[in-house]
Amino acid sequence: MDFTEKIIAVTKEIFETMIMVDVTPGIPLEEHVSKFRCSMSAMVGFAGYKQGNLALHTPAKVAMGLTQDFLGMDINEINADVEDAMGELANMLAGSLKPFISTDGGKVELSLPSVVYGEEYTLTVVNKADWVIVPFTVSHGDFLICLEFKKQH
Amino acid sequence: MGRSVLIIDDSSTMRKIVNRSLRQAGLEFETVLEAGDGQAALDILANQKPDIILSDINMPTMDGLEFLKRKAADPSIKNIPVVMITTEGGSADMVEQSRSLGASGCVKKPFTPDQVNEIIGPLL
Repeated sequence: MDFTEKIIAVTKEIFETMIMVDVTPGIPLEEHVSKFRCSMSAMVGFAGYKQGNLALHTPAKVAMGLTQDFLGMDINEINADVEDAMGELANMLAGSLKPFISTDGGKVELSLPSVVYGEEYTLTVVNKADWVIVPFTVSHGDFLICLEFKKQH
Repeated sequence: MGRSVLIIDDSSTMRKIVNRSLRQAGLEFETVLEAGDGQAALDILANQKPDIILSDINMPTMDGLEFLKRKAADPSIKNIPVVMITTEGGSADMVEQSRSLGASGCVKKPFTPDQVNEIIGPLL
């Protein structure tokens, strides 16, 4: 299944309904991104019939801007509110994509969200996986949504 | 005495969003209680009895389904209506499981204030 259109549809719905901001999708990346600088990555894992994860990668200033929009309060630094808001966004994205992931009846469970933030870090999927990465633009800047699945044998 | 609501979610962001959506939906509560998981909610319910409970499903320590089981077993709180608020609302088996454990309804994230009002309003 091509998940690009699903990712775009659920992202627009979540951002426009819950944060009330317009989001513009870009062209899916042709090369995987694993190194990040001054960024935050919020991730939710899929387990069971299909295994993988969804990650929301945002530059720090975009994460702060989105949290400000989400909560309606001033955010001037990366803090627990930003971590929680990005984790919740990843959770909603993964939850909204879940029905499309388990279309053939297999049971898929979601993990609790986890969040990484740092000046420079690398995220690597250990097992070979199929992936799609879609860039998006909001008024605060750009962010990426990455969906990865373990290859089916 | 004014109405009260208990919001259960491990995300503080989501608790704030749910509270804001209730206000936007015109559902005013004099007292808004918050808990980060099912066990923390049961601790609150030992002393306070809100008019309605809104609960996430996927939470650490005690999830929403286990909370429903424990609540149903306690005569002092079993009649308080519970609405599940979850990203997994699209999953029919999760909704059915919640209903079989006593949930009065389910709101799927993302949601609008109108959707919140449509499901929660009639229970008040």
